[in-house]
Amino acid sequence: MAVPKIQTVCGYGCGSSLMLRMNVEKIAKANGYEVEAFCGDVGTCCGNDCDVIFISKELGERIEGRAKVPVVEFDNFMNKAEVEEKTLAYLESFGK
Amino acid sequence: MSDSIARDCVRTGVHAGTWQDAIRLAAAPLVERGSIEGSYVERMIESVNELGPYIVLMPGFALAHAAPGEDVHVSDLSVALLDEGVSFGSDNDPVRVVMCLACVDRESHIARLQTVAEKLLDDTFVERMVACGSDQELYELVNA
Repeated sequence: MAVPKIQTVCGYGCGSSLMLRMNVEKIAKANGYEVEAFCGDVGTCCGNDCDVIFISKELGERIEGRAKVPVVEFDNFMNKAEVEEKTLAYLESFGK
Repeated sequence: MSDSIARDCVRTGVHAGTWQDAIRLAAAPLVERGSIEGSYVERMIESVNELGPYIVLMPGFALAHAAPGEDVHVSDLSVALLDEGVSFGSDNDPVRVVMCLACVDRESHIARLQTVAEKLLDDTFVERMVACGSDQELYELVNA
């Protein structure tokens, strides 16, 4: 089965996107999903190969219309309930 | 194991009038110990001006950072507990805890940030940081 490649994105790809990536990996693992997650920055994320982009709501507006893959926006990267709900919704839909 | 955040990079009772000051004051220990140059501090502020207050990751908590650059000498972290909340123009205002992250590249700081991030996943962690009465208490909490 294909493993979804998730790009978590913040301004520079080294701070908050890492927090989100860790959250996503944790949730996927706890629910028995295999994922490949990596960090990206808002400037270059649309050029990176991935199946989906996870991004904050504010930055999401900046890549609107440019992203070639689905974009999932988050109000709060560290809100467990929100990250879990949106991550699982994506993982369940992946490959269907 | 070394500390996630060094003792002299943890400060409580910090008074900031604006979010810009809050970032400058939180980053001051990193400048003092030579981990970053002052220009990195200004880049963190510029980043909020340019990209918006998404660095306010959760209610009451901001993770200030900017892109790696020549003005970062050592990957490092600092944290400041503000005596009064400051507005960043975010839904998660007011901010009481500002953490500053400096990275020489995208990978070297990950283990330390990861340790801190795991703590932040606990919904009560920001509250517990805010409740700290001294630098020592906050230092022990973030490195527990």
